This record gives sequence, structure tokens and C-alpha cells, in this order.
Amino acid sequence: MLFAIDSARRTDIGAVASDRNYDAVIVGTGISGAIIANELCRAGKRVLVLEAGSGTNRSLDGYDALVTNFYKAASKDNQSPYPVNPNVPMPRSPELRKLQPGETNALTYMVQSGPYVTDTTYTRIFGGTTMHWEAKTPRLLQEDFKSNALYGQGLDWPLDYRDIEADYQTAEREIGVSADVEDQSYLDITFPQGYVYPMRGLPLSYLDQMVAKGIDGTTVELYGETYPVKVRPYPQGRNGIPNPAYDGGKGYVPIGAVNTHEVEEGGRCQGNTNCVPICPVQARYHSGKTLAKALQTGRVDLLAQAVASRVLIDSDTGRASALEVKVYKDAASPDYETITVKGKIFVLAAGAIETPRLMLASGLQSSSGLIGRNLMDHAYLLSWALMPEVCGTMRGTSCTGGIVDLRGGAFRRHQAAFSVDIHNDGWGWAVGSPYSDVTELVDQHNRFGGDLRQGLIDRISRQLLLAFMIEVMPVESNRVSVDPQYTDKLGNMRPVVSFTVPEYTMRGAAYAREFAKTMFARLGAADHTRYDTSDYGYVNYEGEGYAIRGGNHLAGTHIMGSDKHRSAVNIDQRSWDHDNLYLVGGGSMPTIGTANVTLTLAALCYRSARAMLKQLQR
Amino acid sequence: MSDTITTIDALKEHLYLAMQLEHATIPPYLTALYSIKPGTNVDAVQVLRVVAVEEMLHLTIAANLLNAIGGTPDLTRPGFVPSYPAHLPDGETDFKVSLAPFTKETLAIFKKIERPRLAPGSKKLVKRLYRGSVTVLGTYPGADDMQYYSIGDFYAAIEDGFDRLEKEAKVAGKTIFIGDRKRQVTSEYYYSGGGELFPVTDIGSAKKAIRLVMEQGEGAGGGIYDHERELAHYYRFDELDRERYYQPEDTAGHPTGPTFSVDWHAVYPVKTDLKLGDIDRKKSPELYEAALSFNQTYAEFLGQLTQAFNGQPQLLLQAVPRMFEFRNLMGDLIRNPLPDSGGHYAMATFEIGDNQVLRTVAIEEAGA
Repeated sequence: MLFAIDSARRTDIGAVASDRNYDAVIVGTGISGAIIANELCRAGKRVLVLEAGSGTNRSLDGYDALVTNFYKAASKDNQSPYPVNPNVPMPRSPELRKLQPGETNALTYMVQSGPYVTDTTYTRIFGGTTMHWEAKTPRLLQEDFKSNALYGQGLDWPLDYRDIEADYQTAEREIGVSADVEDQSYLDITFPQGYVYPMRGLPLSYLDQMVAKGIDGTTVELYGETYPVKVRPYPQGRNGIPNPAYDGGKGYVPIGAVNTHEVEEGGRCQGNTNCVPICPVQARYHSGKTLAKALQTGRVDLLAQAVASRVLIDSDTGRASALEVKVYKDAASPDYETITVKGKIFVLAAGAIETPRLMLASGLQSSSGLIGRNLMDHAYLLSWALMPEVCGTMRGTSCTGGIVDLRGGAFRRHQAAFSVDIHNDGWGWAVGSPYSDVTELVDQHNRFGGDLRQGLIDRISRQLLLAFMIEVMPVESNRVSVDPQYTDKLGNMRPVVSFTVPEYTMRGAAYAREFAKTMFARLGAADHTRYDTSDYGYVNYEGEGYAIRGGNHLAGTHIMGSDKHRSAVNIDQRSWDHDNLYLVGGGSMPTIGTANVTLTLAALCYRSARAMLKQLQR
Repeated sequence: MSDTITTIDALKEHLYLAMQLEHATIPPYLTALYSIKPGTNVDAVQVLRVVAVEEMLHLTIAANLLNAIGGTPDLTRPGFVPSYPAHLPDGETDFKVSLAPFTKETLAIFKKIERPRLAPGSKKLVKRLYRGSVTVLGTYPGADDMQYYSIGDFYAAIEDGFDRLEKEAKVAGKTIFIGDRKRQVTSEYYYSGGGELFPVTDIGSAKKAIRLVMEQGEGAGGGIYDHERELAHYYRFDELDRERYYQPEDTAGHPTGPTFSVDWHAVYPVKTDLKLGDIDRKKSPELYEAALSFNQTYAEFLGQLTQAFNGQPQLLLQAVPRMFEFRNLMGDLIRNPLPDSGGHYAMATFEIGDNQVLRTVAIEEAGA
């Protein structure tokens, strides 16, 4: 599959501002915006897509420049490949510091107050957060859609698993998921007879297999029920072995790199183990692959360096009439030109923080008052240990397997569920390995040369990190808001985030820590976990301290429902108050369960695209 | 002598040569690719890389063709890897392909390798006289003094052979496609951007496979793009010459895509056609060891490919990490100056099998 660069019609500001024929204007090039743009233009509609970033990574050179940034960066955080652009700032974990209760840090793009500081991030660049995502693509459980009815927790969805199943399949095709149905049919997840994923599952890493040897077939007790545990492969949005049985035997053709002037690279995953923050060979899906297809139709205009600043509403009809957009010329200067763009429908697909931020900055609270509220993000608790023997840590993708047996069950009445990731990249996320290991061996053990190399091998290849991804239920006080005193270089109000980890989640975290100790004991692994009181994500719960990391799985800030007083958007992600305005993405999800959010929000966007096409036909 | 293929054995021998020919371009392309200093010349790196990867695809297609008629691909046959410089056919004359750094001269040779041309008349073979010691590719099996006029002619002869022999078999109520379907390598086990692998099971798929190889290399289909909208190798190299990308609708020699620049200085001056014997073992034992180790790894890799092409295609999945391994070994060599060579750097020598490596080991044992 090949895409000539800029296969879209050349777009300049003047042309875009004076164009009166756009069927849809989409803010954001992440997976939601990309899917909707692609669906609409394939149905013959004309679409304008706005991207706040430079858009240079549409080409292979631009993409590779980001890879080089990552290789050169001293800090390997999940935004390290993405250059600082003062006009389009984004959250970056190295900029965070611990805050006392009530203390506010306004130096970071996302303004936060103590005591708890989340290091959650999202990426404001062409491709959105799919540029840095790890690309795990599990489906939600059936029970996740009705956790309130079943367990008295969270909110019920206006739709259930059966309503979204076909769209899950479409999203799995678009992302190009590698998985085997037999591995993914657990708890209450079901697939239609004969379904296969586009590509076969990636094999479990040697580390996964070593963990499996120690724990498979064992059980844990929780609230009087017994749960078996087992290491299971995760479905992944990266190229593996195409399954010849896919699509009734038609098979599946993987997509490699895009916009490469006829130079294709990137086929199969090579196991570079830095999926986060960037796959060096584009084996991992990013939404540029979907946008490339959309741009090829010639019906999509892409305007980069264009930051949407206000949604304009016609006061008579309540409909969105235009978008105000600030177009800057150069990242090095805050100079910009303001234009307004018009379309029949408007789609805000800027992520669960930026979309409500833009709504609130436009003075649009919605009748439910829920815009920006119910902010959710998976809470991560890390536990790390040294395995008794060499396990080949650092082989494979960032994560190939984990423990998903506690994603569902009656215990959810009392405490949050979690899924567990076995990390193939060692203790990196917890303590900065392997870089921290080098520093320690040199500075404290005075080792060098072959002896230093051996020392690194001895340590790193036995590292085991279990990352517990714990569910967070919607809580109205966890929210995104705006405040005129906090603005960015372009004068746009920045997001102010208030987030505390709910008690239900902390109960899950406390259990997760015990669960980790149990697993380490079964594996004969030496627990090295330490949570430091100086950690900005430190949380005290029932006399114990835990460091809670953000999951970058943002959701809930324009929640979907069937009642306009208790939700911001309807089942099609259309605003209850403005009938040609759609707020799409994770923000629409009423709960997030224990599945990484991308696959589900992608599936929702197919439903929305159908609704938009229907609306445009009228 | 006749330039037509009239027996199944001759067709098998031609297909073995096709594998040898497709493989023979890979070491020169990799040498040029890895001689480029890391982080520089991104465009040249991409172009060289994609061509090398497509040659690997062509090698696999040739193996599929051979398997389809019941042959046995063998990359470990002595002499499978040529001793460089090797002579390749280029019309009335021939030219030498070397293992050399990425330079303008090297690029000119690469364009010659991929140049689209066919013999002007009906005769596809030309008589050439060589000294006994040189490596010549594209000769007629069993007649070392007869060489195909061009690579295009060589493949045309193969296609013609398939046609003729299958027609004859059909008359007798048989087929030449008697190979085990399980030996075919499909895109399950190997895919890249360079086109899709499909099983060769009949005359239709055989012709499609031959055409894919010809078009990707030389643009012999007439256009500069092949059926899969892939730019032919000759024109990819032409892009490096002109420092400008082609795009669809362009005509040969007139690319209109984005421009870029090639930095000819950002290249390690590796020693052309370095041999193990050129490295002084006493002075540079580590360099010698590294060069030896590369050759052994590469020999093992060819052994693994042979197994993969003989009914175990899943072994190709392990080929990727093996290629990383020899890329790193090559990197070790290129970043090391070669003592007493007037400023040159070392490089992998690709002396494999019936070659220097074994002989060197033998000499060592004799001297031990």
C-alpha cells in the first residue's frame, strides 16, 4: 500500500476559510478523527481535518525524525520523541513535581493542584496519541456495559456488547489487530461463530512463559470466590502474521509505513521493545495509516498548525455555525492568523481533555453540566521484582501477555477490577531501567567494560514488572475545567485538571499489591517494589502508601447516555444541545472497565460516522 | 548453442541460477546501505533498504518457482555466493559488481544491474571470454563461455521454458507443477512493502511471479511503475542520482516529486572487495575475528533459508532477528579503520562456504 505525500488537495488558509462546501469539519487527527474522516470521504463527502501540530510526520522523513529524537533523548518518557511546540503544548511527565494539598502548579500545560498529581498524557501531533500508544486492543467485557445494574458501581451504557460487536470487528480490521480468538474468549467476551482476527496473535515472550510456568493453574480467593490465574496473550494493534482465514478466506494485507514516496518499510513487528513512545518501523498502527487512505480520495483537506479556539453557536437554532481557528506560521513564534471555518457538521475529536476544554473555552457547558466532568483514566500500580533466573527481559514488544482473570466478577461490588501487564521492558516504567542500572553500576559499583556489560545482563534480564491497570469509575468531581488566568502562547485557555483516585479504585490497588506479592512468592522472585512518599502520585490508603501512575486512557468528559440531563452526548456521540455537533472519542465512554480505551472508542466512531452520513443525507 | 530451455532439469538449473542472481545483488546493496553513516542520508538509506528487501523477495519467489516444479532450493551449494567482484551481463558488454561503499560510482553500477534492456535480435546468448578465475553470473548452465545478453533475457528464457515444458506435459496429460504446495512460501511467513508473496502452483501463477521479478527490477513492463504501483529499482536508483523523487504519472528521467539531497561525504570509506586474507591477523586479531564471525553467521543464515525453502517456511520468522544480528556485525566492521590501507575501513567480506573461511580454518589447523 503506497501513499504519495500530500495526496490531499493542497490546502491554504485562504481557501479553507472561504470554502462553503465542507460537509464536515473535524478537529483532531487521532484515531477518532481519522476514522470519521475516512468513513465520510469514502461515502463521497468533503471533509476538512484540522491538526494543531506541524503535521510533518505525515512523511516518512518526518516520522523518522521523531524516532531520532527519541533515540537522542536523555529522558525516555512517552512524549520524548515529540518536540516541544510552544503553540501546541502537551502534558509531559518530567515537568511534574510533588504538590502539597491545595498547592497549584501552573507551570505545566495541564494545571493541577495537590495532593495527587496525575502524570497522564496525550499527544498533540498528527496521529494524536496513537503516535505513542502501546497498542493493546482488548474489548470491554459484556458486564462492563452494565456495571451499575450488576454491581451498583459507575454508570450503565446506553448500549451493550451486542450493539457494538460488529463495530469492534471493523475497528479490529482498521487497526490491524493481531490476536487469536481462542486466547481472547475469556470471562464473558464472545465472538461470532468463525470469526478470526486479521492477524494471528503475537507469541508470548520468554518472560511471559517463565511467569506462566510459576502461576498458571493456581488460584486466588476474593470475597469468598475462587479465581484461577493464567498468563494470556493480549490482542495488539501491530503487524504480525496475516491470518489466511480472515474475511471468509480472503486474508488480510498488513499496512506498513505510509507516505513514503514509494519507499515502503515496516512490515512485521520486529520486537524493538519501544512501542511506547514510538515504533521505529511503523509496524504498530497509528492513525496516519487511516488518514493516508482518506487523503488519497482527494475529498479530504488537511490543515496543519491550526488550533481550534472556539465553537461558534447560532443562538437562534442552537446549531454550531462555525469554528474559530488560530493558524500559526511557525512553532518558534506565537504569531497567528484567525480564521473561521464552516461546515454542515462539526466533529470535535481532540481527546478527552482537549475536546471538553474547547467546549468550555467556548462557553458551552451543555444542559447536563457534565462537559469536562467524570474524567476517567486507568490508575496504574506498578510492582517489580527480580526473577530467580534469567528470563530474557527486553525481548518482544513492550508487553505481550498478562493476567486478565480479575477483569470481571462479583468482587466488583466491593472493589475495582484490574488487568495485569507483564512488561517485557523490565523496570523501566518504575525506576528508569536500563539507564538507571548503568548509572548505579558505574557510580556505586565502579564497574566498567566487559564487567559492566555482564552486570547489566545479570540485572536486566531478570527484571519483572507487573503493571496493574485498575479501573476508575466516573466521579463528577474528577474533572477538566478552564480558567482565564491560565492561557497558552496563543491565548487559549489551558486545561485545569482536578483528579483524585476514588476509594473504590484504591481498594483495588491495595488488593493488587497483595496479589503481586502472592505472584512473586509463587515465582520465587525477590520483590524490589518501593513507593516513595516524595512521589507526585503518592496516595495514602488505610495506612499504606502507593504510587499511582496515570494510564493515558482518558475518558468520560462528555459522557454518553440516553437522557440529555444526565449525559452530554447521545448514543451516536452527538451533542444533546447542538444537533450538528459531535463530541467523539474516549470522552463519550460512561465507564472504562479494564480495557485500554482505544479499540472501544474507535468502534464508537463507526457508529457515529453512520449517524453523520444519515444526517447529511437529510 | 541453443538459448531455449527444453528439459525440466535445465529449467531447474536456470531457477537455481535465478536464486543465485537475485541473491548476488544483496551483499553489494547491504554494503552500500550500511556504509552510510548512521543518522545521515535518510532518503538514500530508505531507497537502498527497500531495494535490498525486494531482492530478498525476488530470491524467495525464485525459490517458489523452483519448488513448484519439484526442485530443491539450495543456498548452501558451493559457489552460491559469488566471489566479488562478479561479472553481470549488460548487453554487448558486461560489468563488474563489487562490495563497495555508497559512492556515485557504486550507484552507477547499481543502475547498470537494474537497467531495463533486452537483446535486440532473437538471440539471447552472447559468447564472452573470461579468465578462469573470475566469477560470472548469468552464464548458460553448463556453458561457462555463454552468457545471457541481459538479466531480462535470462528471465524471458525462463518464462519461455515454463511455457514450452508445461505445454508438452499437458499433451501427455501431465503437468510440470508437481511440487508440494506446503513448500511454497506465502505472505504469512514473509511480507514487506515490496509486493505480495503468493504460491506458485500453475502456469498462471508462475508467469505472474516471473513478471513481478522483472518489473520490480527493471521496469521491463514498459512503465517506470509496476502493476502494484511500485517504482522499479532502476528508477529508485535514478532518484538518488537526480536527488528527486518520482511520483505516479512521471516519465523516465523526469521525476517531479519532492527533492532531497544526498551527502556523499557522510559515508565510511570501506575497502572495496575486502577479503579476509587482506586483514593482518597478528596486527588486527579482533578485526579478523569479527570478519570471520560475520561470514560464519551469514553462512548459517543461508543454511536457515535453505531449510525454510525446503518445507519449513516458519523458519523465516526467525530470519528477522538473525538479520539484525548480522547488521550489527557489519556495523562493528565498518566503524573500524583497516590498518595500513591508506584510510579505508573494514567491511564484511561475504566469503562463504566453499571459500576463504573454510580454507582459512584449514590453514590454521595445518599451522597449529
